[in-house]
Parts: sequence; structure tokens; C-alpha cells
Amino acid sequence: MVREVSESCVDSLLTEMVACYCNRFYANKPELAARRIEAIGYQVGHQLSERYTMERPRFTDHLEAIKFICKDFWSELFKKQIDNLKTNHRGTFVLQDNKFRWLARMSVDPSIDNASSVEDNSAPTPENKAAQAMSMHLYFPCGIIRGALSNLGIPCAVSADISNLPACSFVVRIKA
Amino acid sequence: MQFFGGSEISPSPPAPTASGNNGHMMYVFNRNGVCLLYREWNRPLRTLDAQQDHKLMFGLLFSLKSLTAKMDPTSVVEKGNLGMPQLPGQGCSFHSFRTNTYKLSFMESPSGIKIILVTHPRTGDLRESLKYIYNLYVEYVVKNPLYTPGSPIRCELFNTTLDQYVRGIA
Repeated sequence: MVREVSESCVDSLLTEMVACYCNRFYANKPELAARRIEAIGYQVGHQLSERYTMERPRFTDHLEAIKFICKDFWSELFKKQIDNLKTNHRGTFVLQDNKFRWLARMSVDPSIDNASSVEDNSAPTPENKAAQAMSMHLYFPCGIIRGALSNLGIPCAVSADISNLPACSFVVRIKA
Repeated sequence: MQFFGGSEISPSPPAPTASGNNGHMMYVFNRNGVCLLYREWNRPLRTLDAQQDHKLMFGLLFSLKSLTAKMDPTSVVEKGNLGMPQLPGQGCSFHSFRTNTYKLSFMESPSGIKIILVTHPRTGDLRESLKYIYNLYVEYVVKNPLYTPGSPIRCELFNTTLDQYVRGIA
């Protein structure tokens, strides 16, 4: 019997987790907050991959494992598969999700477009702050992917790219 | 309207019957009277500056709710004096008034979020539409991780979906 939980509940919990780490625990240290959030994702991904590979045989190579992440793993987590997978055949994979579920409701202040262009470049513009706030929410899924892959025996580094919303890309670099 | 998981937003929106701009303006207030959103699509005559306008609108609704609850001939509950603050849902709920030039429709959620929509006078009952707009608010504002409750709404997704929807209201 499959146990289910309300999606709004999970969304709110994740939002609160990121807000908590960014604003309270590591208030002025975004890099530390990011690492903690990613570490939480790592643990979650580790355990989830254990659960979702229970009935399967071992993966023959890295590509098979990545395809598992793109299809079965992503479907279990987000009810859809990764839309686009690219690789350079030298250990780097780009997983693109055209409408990432956890970013679906995030949107920024529309008046940012009217920001003056004579801003001092060293000061964070409102656009940068919004982009930084959004990227904080991506450390958790990056950690999940990293945890899942390392449990399958593939150490790697995962980063996220939100240059064209609402599509979101996860770049996986396998450590040689 | 595509929401996640393909699930229907309930209630489902009334089918758009007219085209063009039927909505004139919209206000959203929270329970403390803070104007969270003011959108304007068609308002040729503007008489007050923005702050005064919002205060006037909030005060008007507060008084109307008080008055309608007090004048309710069917209620048996002992009501306080006129002007005493009421909980959302207490007293009878007024939902619209109409003049010869516009119709104002109002909805208050149990959490105190008040949605006011001003349209042309021949608009029908907008209660279902207001419920749908409240659902949009929940989906795109409340669930937006970048939004702090109690602050003015600045969410692009909410604004675009709202504009699209209001354009289709009869």
C-alpha cells in the first residue's frame, strides 16, 4: 500500500526549510546555508534511491543510472519525466525539466524591469537578489540527485541553472 | 487554465462569454486593512490619491458589513452595537452593490482576505468568479516561496493569470 502526503504540505515544508536556513540559521552566510540545504537533499536522495531501486538489477553503466534518474526517479518525485537529456560523453550530463514543479509558483516582482541602469555594479540589484533567492530553492533538488547517484555508486557534483524559466536544468558532473 | 498535476482548480471558472475589458478595477485587502493589491484596467475618473482611495474603500466595506449584519431581519443572534468589529463569516454576508455606472462585488475569505471587483453595471453574479480569483491568490501568492504574507503582492505570475481571467469575465 502506497502512503501519500498532501503536496501543499510538502511544498510549504520545503519553502519554510529554505527560508529558515537562509534567514535564521545562517543569516548572513548564504554559502553555508546552501551547503546545509544541499546536504539535507543528499540524505533524502540517498534514501529515496534505495527505495526506488528495490526490485531492479544493478545498473550496467553511468548512462543507465542517469536514465533511471530521468525517468523512474523523476516520475516518483514529480509525476513527470525529465524532458531533455544531453551529454558530452565525457562525464557531464544536463537534465532539463521544462516546468520544474517546485519552481512552478515562484515569481518575482514585475517592477524590476524598470530598475535604473546606472546602478553601481557592486551593489546587488533587485534582479540579482531575486535570482539568488530562487537559486536557494534549487540546492535541495541538486542534493537529491547527488545523493541518489552516489548511492548507485556514482560520485558526482550537481548544480542547477535557471537561465530560462520556467525550464530548469541540472548539470551533473561525474567525478572521474 | 493549466495548473499542476492536471487537477481542476475548484470551483472551475465560469466560461468566458464576453470579450474585452469588463473589469474596471480590483482591490485585495488583508484582515488588517493593508491593501495587498490594486489593479486597474479601466478607470477614466480618479478622484483621490492612492492611499486615500484604499482607506476609503476599506472603510466603506467595513461599514457596509456592519450595517448589513445589524439590519438583518432574519437573524436571532444578539448583535453588538453598530460598528463593533465582526469576525469573517459572522453576520449575514453582503456580496455586491450596483449603481447606474458600476457594480461592486465583494468576497471575504475566512482568513480575512477581502477581494473587491468593480465591473460594469450589467455584470451578473460574480461570486463564483471571486472564489476562483481567491484560488489564484492561494496558488500563485500564498504558495510563492518569495512572498512574505502581509506585504503588497508583487508576483508576476499572479498578475498575468489574473489579467487573463478578468478579461474573460462577462
